[in-house]
Amino acid sequence: MATILIVDDDAFVRTLLRDMLAGEGYTLLEAEDGRAALDLLGERAPALVLLDLFMPRLSGMEALASIRQRWPGARVLVISSLDSDRLVNEALEAGAAGYITKPFHPVEITSAVARALAS
Amino acid sequence: MASSYWVGDAEGRVLGPVTLDVLQDLVASGRLQDVNRASADGYRWGPPEQYPEILALLLNAPRPEALLELERQEAGRVWDQLRVMQGKVPHEVFGIEQGASVDTYRNAFFKLVKRFYPDRVRAQAHPDLRRAYSDAFHFLSRLMVHIETELAAGRAVSAMPSIRDTPVPAPAPRFTPMQPARTSSGAHRPALRPLPRGPVPAERPSYQAHEFVGFRRRDDRVEVTVMVTAQNSVMFTQHPLVNLQSGGVFLASRTSLPLGTPVDVVFHFDEPAREIKARGRVILENAGADPRAPVGFGVRLVALPDSEKSFVQAFLQKVANRR
Repeated sequence: MATILIVDDDAFVRTLLRDMLAGEGYTLLEAEDGRAALDLLGERAPALVLLDLFMPRLSGMEALASIRQRWPGARVLVISSLDSDRLVNEALEAGAAGYITKPFHPVEITSAVARALAS
Repeated sequence: MASSYWVGDAEGRVLGPVTLDVLQDLVASGRLQDVNRASADGYRWGPPEQYPEILALLLNAPRPEALLELERQEAGRVWDQLRVMQGKVPHEVFGIEQGASVDTYRNAFFKLVKRFYPDRVRAQAHPDLRRAYSDAFHFLSRLMVHIETELAAGRAVSAMPSIRDTPVPAPAPRFTPMQPARTSSGAHRPALRPLPRGPVPAERPSYQAHEFVGFRRRDDRVEVTVMVTAQNSVMFTQHPLVNLQSGGVFLASRTSLPLGTPVDVVFHFDEPAREIKARGRVILENAGADPRAPVGFGVRLVALPDSEKSFVQAFLQKVANRR
């Protein structure tokens, strides 16, 4: 099964995402900001990254750019509470495979993850 | 090409690079607050005053009172929309064909209910807006449970009976034993949903709600207070899906909470006396549709420290040894 990296500075959100995906058989990794995510990406090769945008140290948009450049095979789903249409467009133009606004329903997450991994 | 910026807030979080248009959207909507630094390259940072274009956005942000007024007006619109929805039959509420499958209903439900998630409202929002979102969210959640129950029983989906008059309990005082929901005139308060009178479970749980549960509302979370005794400790073990091993607890209750409701569970153990608080969400409910399972709701607990979990395990072991 695929490996998924969950990147969010909010531990509660990470736990929720982990709970939602744990039953699907994925291998789950966690990082609390963009920099920690890039460190993990260097060690592991997740097929999918669930990425918050507003985080300490290294923002999600910067992490997204690095991921697309250095690990082009990894897909990125942005999960953010910042739901400006223009921000969604900018994230998609920067290479995100999708954009889910918080709060989210478990089905949104599981279906978006399945779609991203299948595409 | 439009210039890009980075901004940081008081919590140390960073957003960027994004265009000024994005920042304008986020500041104007109140979603980006407490900006205390900015950068044009992501390396050199300074106070917003060093970036006139960003400072202008921050200075033109809606004043708190103006934002509150906009939110109050939005609350009125949401309540108007809710009244319209309450006057419609279920398939019209979701804009789908009569006789649609449960999956079609669920997909339509997820799309619609997302607009009204109470968590979408910023923390300092006008309380009416929070209540309006919560009312709409809970109405739709109740309606979806009604639809699923009807379809599972092989019946055509009909209007939910007495939807306008669903009893809304007053906030329960601490440790109030849970009784059948009392009516209240608090029309805009998020509703605890009394369970419909379903078939009597074939295997009744050995613990009952009136023994131990009390509800208290805290904004859009519900605090569930549970007195844990040797008699009702099976709440951690008896349910095949939601149990301590799977990171949850099943609360047998005649009053239920909609799926997804964020809850704070406060366990009061009697012997040895100890209070444990855990945050979670409702992940399962049985309103009586499944006669083989206890009526009530299951909560997935998150961030329960190992030490607390060990205490619960030791408590359960002690109870088991006594038996």
